[in-house]
Amino acid sequence: MNSSDDNSTLPLGFLTVIEHPAHGLFGGYLVLSQSGRPIEFHCTAPMKSSRAQEILYGPTLKPFLYGEQIGGTLLAKAENAPSAVYTDQEAALAVRDRVSVPVALVLPTNENLAYIDSAAVESANESDTTAGYPRADAAHQGRPKLLTFQLGRNRLALAEEHDDDQPLIAERFGGLAESFDLMEPFGRIREAIAEAQQAVR
Amino acid sequence: MASDFRYFPEGDFSWRAPRPPSVLSIGTQVEVAVLDKPLGDVLEESTPAVVEGLDLRGQQPRAISISTGRDIPIRVRSFKFPQPNEKIVAAVAKKASTNTKRLDTSRGGTRIKPPSDIVKLEDRLGYILQPSLESLLKERSLEFPFHPFPFQFEGIAFLYPRHTAVLADEMGLGKTMQAITAIRLLLRRGEVQTVLLVCPKPLVSNWQREFALWAPEVPTTVIEGEQTKRIWQWQLPDAPVRIANYELLQRDREMFTRRDERGRPTVHFDLVVLDESQRIKNRSSTTSQVARSISRSRNWALTGTPVENSAEDLVGIFEFLSPGFLSPELKPRTMGRAVRDHVLRRTKDIVLEDMPPKLFRDAEMDLSPRQQETYDMAEGEGVLKLTDLGDSASIGHVLELVLRLKQICNFDPASGDSAKVERLEADIEEIARSGQKAIVFSQWVETLQKLDKRLKRFGPLQYHGKIPPKKRDDVITRFREDDDSHVILMSYGAGGVGLNLQFANYVFLFDRWWNPAVEDQAINRAHRIGVSGPVTVTRFLMLNTIEERIDLILREKRELFDIIFSDAKPHGKLGFTQEEIFGLFELKTPGRPIDVAA
Repeated sequence: MNSSDDNSTLPLGFLTVIEHPAHGLFGGYLVLSQSGRPIEFHCTAPMKSSRAQEILYGPTLKPFLYGEQIGGTLLAKAENAPSAVYTDQEAALAVRDRVSVPVALVLPTNENLAYIDSAAVESANESDTTAGYPRADAAHQGRPKLLTFQLGRNRLALAEEHDDDQPLIAERFGGLAESFDLMEPFGRIREAIAEAQQAVR
Repeated sequence: MASDFRYFPEGDFSWRAPRPPSVLSIGTQVEVAVLDKPLGDVLEESTPAVVEGLDLRGQQPRAISISTGRDIPIRVRSFKFPQPNEKIVAAVAKKASTNTKRLDTSRGGTRIKPPSDIVKLEDRLGYILQPSLESLLKERSLEFPFHPFPFQFEGIAFLYPRHTAVLADEMGLGKTMQAITAIRLLLRRGEVQTVLLVCPKPLVSNWQREFALWAPEVPTTVIEGEQTKRIWQWQLPDAPVRIANYELLQRDREMFTRRDERGRPTVHFDLVVLDESQRIKNRSSTTSQVARSISRSRNWALTGTPVENSAEDLVGIFEFLSPGFLSPELKPRTMGRAVRDHVLRRTKDIVLEDMPPKLFRDAEMDLSPRQQETYDMAEGEGVLKLTDLGDSASIGHVLELVLRLKQICNFDPASGDSAKVERLEADIEEIARSGQKAIVFSQWVETLQKLDKRLKRFGPLQYHGKIPPKKRDDVITRFREDDDSHVILMSYGAGGVGLNLQFANYVFLFDRWWNPAVEDQAINRAHRIGVSGPVTVTRFLMLNTIEERIDLILREKRELFDIIFSDAKPHGKLGFTQEEIFGLFELKTPGRPIDVAA
């Protein structure tokens, strides 16, 4: 990816993963200008993990797939380096280990509820339960601790081990924090992925 | 990193690292999942897991090395989107508005959806991935004098991505504003660079004013003046929006056929917008032919009356928008389905919940005794004459009789008696007492002049073809501002197009026009956005006369319109056919049996 010293004009990256019950996972990465116009868009074909990976990765499977595999692949395809990458999937925060730009989770607020994929939220809440069996890994669950903070109209979270990204995000996004709803673009990505799926059929 | 995977038959697990690498080897502890069956069974089922050198059947493994295989191959599709031409954006943004408001985007957004004729995925994604229309319009200095209604955002979102579109909103819903805003957006984003707006001559100054109001930073050029000047104006390199009238288009038709040395048109527009596009409904007319000869990339049609007389009117409009797309042989319902993605029509009662309603009260009356006597004589003599003419009777003969009878329905020629005027006087008196204003329409100037005398005490003003054009604006201004002027007398022709009279809450159709579209247009002079209360429409109808028979046919024409633009079931007979005109007097059409209107 290209880099730029002028962070005030750098575009914004938006990464999400959609889970389809029949086809598997679709990843989408949208790069927007600071006025919200699309610059580039990348989406994956559907993918599924193997049974071995499901067993062996256990609760760390999602971060592995969302963050490393899907997120890492999509961000590597992009031509424009963003000032930061925003995601609505906690598991995708794992991509931060593979890129040098801040990666933040956009959290629901009363204002942005309309843009949230409620099915994905339910799925995320259910995914870590295994009925009837004690979990030896309960203390970790494969999920990092999060540091949450408010930035303008947006509520964000960072993986705790990357908490030094917070001032960077505040500096690079602060000027847009009141006007730019960071949850809104994810709705566009979902529509775009659905459109791309239809085109394939 | 060396790692270790341990399985203890008692179900006791140990782990340490946060996640396993793709290859596990003895020595490092990793996180494990709870298994509901022996590990050996699971590993045998799992491929491409490889267990090195161990046969797990019946065994209790203590440590194994497992490879999970290669990373999952992921296919990616990538799309890049063009960015606005900054030169165009800068050129359009030279003039900055100073007396405007910023859009409030807190209500959410209107999304632009790609029309069905855009098939390339990249192009479709280009629209889907745009921010909301409100955000696009809010960008930089795109400010508005008034906040658009939600349905107007939808109209703009409808026009913006379309190369072929008809905005057919009912009169008064702001087609002008929606078109101008869509044009403004396209110019600012560099998607179009040259726009031609064609309208009836009386509306040229109205369009100039509307552009100044809704898109003050967009320079407009009105094509006018002597021929040499117009030729220069047609070919101006830096004129984003040109406005021309239909008559001038015909005079300068030669401009659109000129070619350069490479055979390309010397005059080309990225977008051509036809206002009151029912003007080109007749495909064989010169106006329609000239419009079709303009080289263009996109074209929109604006009209509140896409179907005035028959479905062929819509075919005529689409002959300009997309030649061959519609055929006159198509049934109305099929036509409606075909145009669905290209035509947007909203009516006031649907889109404006707060809009005061239109209240119709049909005033049905009997002719006065003298009128009745004159009418009976005229009809009897007239029908006799038509019967005598036999096959040589023409539409013109019938229409002549119809018009004569309609005039008698208004006034008895000899005595001046008029049941309608008596009723009208009473209504206007009540309107004047409440301090309100009314518009009275008639198709005859002579009728309006007679009404002027009869309604003198209500401060009537006249607005028709015999009023000099230069004085017409003053008439409107006086009607609006003079508290003693309670009624304006208008002809359908002069008062039907492009005027805003939303301060009048009462409309009277003293006599009826031949098609409902023109009547609707007249009514909507008052029932526009901004009207302060309900608009009451009174349609005068003389019972047991030609007016009653015409009214029946007008109802059928409305049904035709509804069929094309709704899912209603089709009616049996539609439109004013020759048979129906002759059938008004139960006459046989020349050479053919009667086909009387049902």
